[in-house]
Amino acid sequence: MKLDFVHKQSAHCECGVTSNLINHQFKDSGQTISEALTFGMGEGLFFGYLPFIRVNKLPLTTFRCPVGKIFKQVTSGLGISVKWEKFRSVDKAMAALDRELEKGHPVGCRTGGYWLPYFPPSLRFHFNMHNLVVVGKEGDNYLISDPVFPTMVECPAKDLAIARFAKGALAPKGSMYRITKVPETLDLEPAIRRGIKRAANAMVKNPVPFLGARGIGFLANRLERWPRKFDSGHTQLLLGQHIRMQEEIGTGGGGFRFMYSAFLQEAATILGDKRLMSVSTLLTESGDTWRRFAVKAARNCKGRATDDDSFEAMAETLRTCSKIETDAFRELLDIVS
Amino acid sequence: MIEDLEKELLDAIVKICDIREMIPEEISVDSDLIGLDSPLGLDSLDAVEIVVMIQDVYGVRVQGQDQGREIIRSLKTLADFIRTHSPAPLQT
Repeated sequence: MKLDFVHKQSAHCECGVTSNLINHQFKDSGQTISEALTFGMGEGLFFGYLPFIRVNKLPLTTFRCPVGKIFKQVTSGLGISVKWEKFRSVDKAMAALDRELEKGHPVGCRTGGYWLPYFPPSLRFHFNMHNLVVVGKEGDNYLISDPVFPTMVECPAKDLAIARFAKGALAPKGSMYRITKVPETLDLEPAIRRGIKRAANAMVKNPVPFLGARGIGFLANRLERWPRKFDSGHTQLLLGQHIRMQEEIGTGGGGFRFMYSAFLQEAATILGDKRLMSVSTLLTESGDTWRRFAVKAARNCKGRATDDDSFEAMAETLRTCSKIETDAFRELLDIVS
Repeated sequence: MIEDLEKELLDAIVKICDIREMIPEEISVDSDLIGLDSPLGLDSLDAVEIVVMIQDVYGVRVQGQDQGREIIRSLKTLADFIRTHSPAPLQT
């Protein structure tokens, strides 16, 4: 059995699953939402430097909102009802999935991506919040719309069960979700305005110094002191940890800035406000600047730094990012208020 | 046979990532570019340099985190991405 589900590849799994599930519900009306629109309406963009939260004994830096927030904000903003389920029993979780499929419902699942056999080994890493949509079952194989892949994939039931019950941080515990009720039409304008306003508040009206655009400057000040405070080995570990979180294989933090830029371009058309286009340019500039910073940091970690890659230069690059994002989100608040 | 763009990319990667070890003569364009199985011994820190290099040289921007992994999976996937996304005609 295979549901009539349109698979579309996306850059980011949560945004891809969200837009694909919503588009499935509106396939007869012809209304669709893009991945970028989903990211923006879901208040996806953020920054936080959280030195007291440790990953591999090193500080956590985040470049987006918490995992799961995008799906929740987009569905609630558009008036879409969702049924969530978690399980303690693997058998019950798989049986519940089968029941939903038999009823003709595509089902979103959270999984540990490392355990999905269709991922090439070199691309596997332990991340327990990988989202996908199960759209059918043939024999003992599930048919999956995994937005990271260009086409639908198949996954043996035993492997999907392991992935749904992956152990470790943020264990998915068999989480699955499906859309239960949608409005007649997608009313995008209020959801876009709400998404922009909330993301902008989080970025430039955040009272916590290490969060939002101010947090980028906070990180710059900390980073500048690292060589005086720590030995070179620990300093390299701090830099390496930061880059991997920012640019996990080259695309994370900068990539989210580019996606928000694409969202603003779509929003400019939908809201009929050209000012959003100029803010979009700022976000692209910010994404490029984040990547320039990552290159400097990577060169330090790899022992091939030039004079342009000093800690002072890296801190200045971060301050530039902070200023660009402060300007961009202040402008956005003016536009949507 | 390794094509011109793949060869050009390989040379650029060897230079920017400062690879000093011997490069295998018969390197496959389908070999893993990053990770434990990479014949060039590259890791995710090198990937950052590669992503910025192709943006500077070929004008193509890798925009998404998960898609990015697929784009820089091998010399071939990287070259194909440039061929399909480069705003200007390629010289090679």
